[in-house]
Amino acid sequence: MAHRGSQATTLYLTALYMLVSCTAVPVNDLLDRASQRSDKLHSLSTSLTHELDSHFPPIGRMIMPRPSMCHTSSLQTPTDKEQALRVSESDLLSLARSLLQAWVDPLLLLSSSANSLPHPAHNSIYRKIQELQEYSKSLGDGLDILSGKMGPSSQYISLLPFRGSNDIGQDKTSRLVNFQFLLSCFRRDSHKIDSFLKVLRCRAAKMRPEMC
Amino acid sequence: MRRAVGSVPLLLMLFFIGHAKETRYSPPGKPKLTSCRSPEKETFTCWWEPGSDGGLPTTYALYYRKENSDAVYECPDYHTAGENSCFFNKNDTSIWVNYNITVVATNALGSNFSDPVDVDVVYIVQPHTPENVTVTVMEDKDGPFLRVSWEPPRKADTRSGWITLIYELRVKLEGEEEWEEHRAGQQKMFNIFSLRSGGMYLVQVRCKPDHGFWSEWSSTTYIKVPDYFPRETSVWILIAVFSAFIFFILTWILNLKSNSVKHCLLPPVPGPKIKGFDKQLLKNGRSEEVFSALVVPGFPPTTSSDCEDLLVEYLEVYTPEEQELILEEGKDLQEGCLKSKGSPSDSDSGRGSCDSHTLLMEKCGEGEGKEEKHQERAQKGKRQQKHQTGWEEGDVSHTREDVLSPDMSEGRVKTWPSVFSPLPQYSSRPLDHQGSLETARQLCLSDSLFPPPSTSSHLSYNAKEGLALGSGQQEFYLGKKQTHPSNPQSQPRWHLQAHSDFNISSMDRKQAASGLQLPGFRSTEYVEVQRVNQEDMVILQPLFSSSCQRDGHLQIGQGEDYSKVKGVDSGNMLLLQREVEVKREEEDGDRYSCDIQDRVTESCYTTSTAASSQVTGKPTSCAGTAMPVQEEMVLAANGYVDAATMLL
Repeated sequence: MAHRGSQATTLYLTALYMLVSCTAVPVNDLLDRASQRSDKLHSLSTSLTHELDSHFPPIGRMIMPRPSMCHTSSLQTPTDKEQALRVSESDLLSLARSLLQAWVDPLLLLSSSANSLPHPAHNSIYRKIQELQEYSKSLGDGLDILSGKMGPSSQYISLLPFRGSNDIGQDKTSRLVNFQFLLSCFRRDSHKIDSFLKVLRCRAAKMRPEMC
Repeated sequence: MRRAVGSVPLLLMLFFIGHAKETRYSPPGKPKLTSCRSPEKETFTCWWEPGSDGGLPTTYALYYRKENSDAVYECPDYHTAGENSCFFNKNDTSIWVNYNITVVATNALGSNFSDPVDVDVVYIVQPHTPENVTVTVMEDKDGPFLRVSWEPPRKADTRSGWITLIYELRVKLEGEEEWEEHRAGQQKMFNIFSLRSGGMYLVQVRCKPDHGFWSEWSSTTYIKVPDYFPRETSVWILIAVFSAFIFFILTWILNLKSNSVKHCLLPPVPGPKIKGFDKQLLKNGRSEEVFSALVVPGFPPTTSSDCEDLLVEYLEVYTPEEQELILEEGKDLQEGCLKSKGSPSDSDSGRGSCDSHTLLMEKCGEGEGKEEKHQERAQKGKRQQKHQTGWEEGDVSHTREDVLSPDMSEGRVKTWPSVFSPLPQYSSRPLDHQGSLETARQLCLSDSLFPPPSTSSHLSYNAKEGLALGSGQQEFYLGKKQTHPSNPQSQPRWHLQAHSDFNISSMDRKQAASGLQLPGFRSTEYVEVQRVNQEDMVILQPLFSSSCQRDGHLQIGQGEDYSKVKGVDSGNMLLLQREVEVKREEEDGDRYSCDIQDRVTESCYTTSTAASSQVTGKPTSCAGTAMPVQEEMVLAANGYVDAATMLL
């Protein structure tokens, strides 16, 4: 038993050593790429919300749910700079991954209901949501690779289930309102992801301060 | 201050209240939040715009609420950011939190709330301008360039990655209106190239967070570019100098080789190569003179008929080994002359074809085969003639040369020596086959009596001994016999006309030297039998009239004149009668030589008629030579070599 355990440990250490030594892509480069992707993600979501806002009924703003109603608000994230800078890299990565993971289902919902959205620009909205999904997917994959390099604690992902219903509403206004609400939640979360990754990038590029 | 100011109208109003119906006071107008900005994502400031104050002192208050709680807070700092502003410091600032902000205006009469505004700090980031913008001129191999460097705004924490800034700068020349903008990304340094030498440049920089607003432009930095010599211009100058150098060299070479270049580019126009054509005359513009100069006396033949020329054959002389004398009569002298090797079966050729019935048939084949030899021997013979003419008067040398020259120059031209030539040029000396007989005879041969196709008389030319009327006599006679019946009317007198193209050509004095021209006409030459040598050769001597001679060569049979054929003896020998009356002959010659020109024409036209014409010496001048030196055949009394008579 101990012999087997020692063997397993040896194997594990060897694998870890190889993993660490195998620097096919350095971490800072990975982080750089991830940051760029998250940047693009947030930009897309921002443009989406602006586009949707162009033909938004004023009454809708009244009945817009508060941002604390976002399904990801339960996740504890830093609220200012000092807090954010105190978070470890692994935790930051974990947070980013959790947030990203939490939006897979809602994006599906958004994309499915975008075409029938009572909005003049619903086609372009639909296309952008498609892009959102693509970027989100690729970013998730990259962060998975990153988490593999940054330690076991980064592997932890908080589950943030989306408890929203499968449809976004019945009438035109509620659909629009729900759509906009979801998009606003996503916009914030994408900003968080982006911020965390950029902090991570700066921390990993100690040799190259120009990255920051 | 406001209260003090406001108090005045208030007092006035109060003063008028007793008098006025109502006051103009009202609650304050609605304030309006204009903007909220965070320079570094750590603090933020909100500004509002006050509405009307309603005539009363109004106070403004800002209240905010965070999204998670319902607690309402008032603005902690109204002064830091100036009037109508609220400054949220770090402690009061939370990010990723919605702030619900409201401004309230309050005066004595009431208050007014502004519309609430939801603010998330991360979305309202607008940094300060970049700091420490420095521009320096740096040198490069291509020229100077500007290096602009700056620093991020002091408060923005880019080092930890909390805020990511991207920069932008703009440049323009002093005096211009358009700025040239450049995105610098996240770097804090930028190079500007392609500067104008000696220009003054203005540089400004600004920055923006990754998701936020652009900052203000930094204060302008002025930079002067020093004067420098642009490298491109120097290259052009080098190229220009090099091209000029090459151009000069080319010009120099062209100058040296101007002649060859001229020849290449402007080939000389060939001028007219007409003999006798004077370009100067042409240039002078007198066409009559020019064309008159071209007129060659003697050409075209105006005094002699052409028909006879055409009809007259040329003398084709072979030089066979047998030393036979073959006299040929061709139809067309030109043709005969020109086609040196015509078909032997061509009866029309000037050469006596072998098919012709006339004389010397057996010699034909040999003769043709020995044309080459013949020509050579003709040359030799002519040379020999030169010697032979020693005892004859008149110089034939030059004509001999003329005779010779065509041989050598034109191989094709049959070197028909002027056997029977009235010209002083003599080419052949027939030898008296009798040997002892040395009579000068004039043989005027013309084939006018004979129809061309049927007549062919061959005169074989013996190179060594000259013309020889040898054993071919019989054929000669035969030929005459044959032809005789064909021309019943024609007198049994025939003329042997010997034409030689070169003689004809040599008749042209002007072209005597070349002697290469093919004759356009034939000249009939009278041949005088000089003597008969031992080998039965009849030596013929051309005769010409002294009076019509140009060069004054007078070739009259010196001494004895054997121009009369007495008869033919049994030995097939031509007996020539000696002419006693030389003078008479001369006179005749004189008389007739020139006159006969005309008569010859007559006779030419009336070939088969006019015995009288025949009687008269029929000069072979029908060839149309311009030379009046045609020797006429003496009168029949003097005797031609008239085969008919001989036959008779």
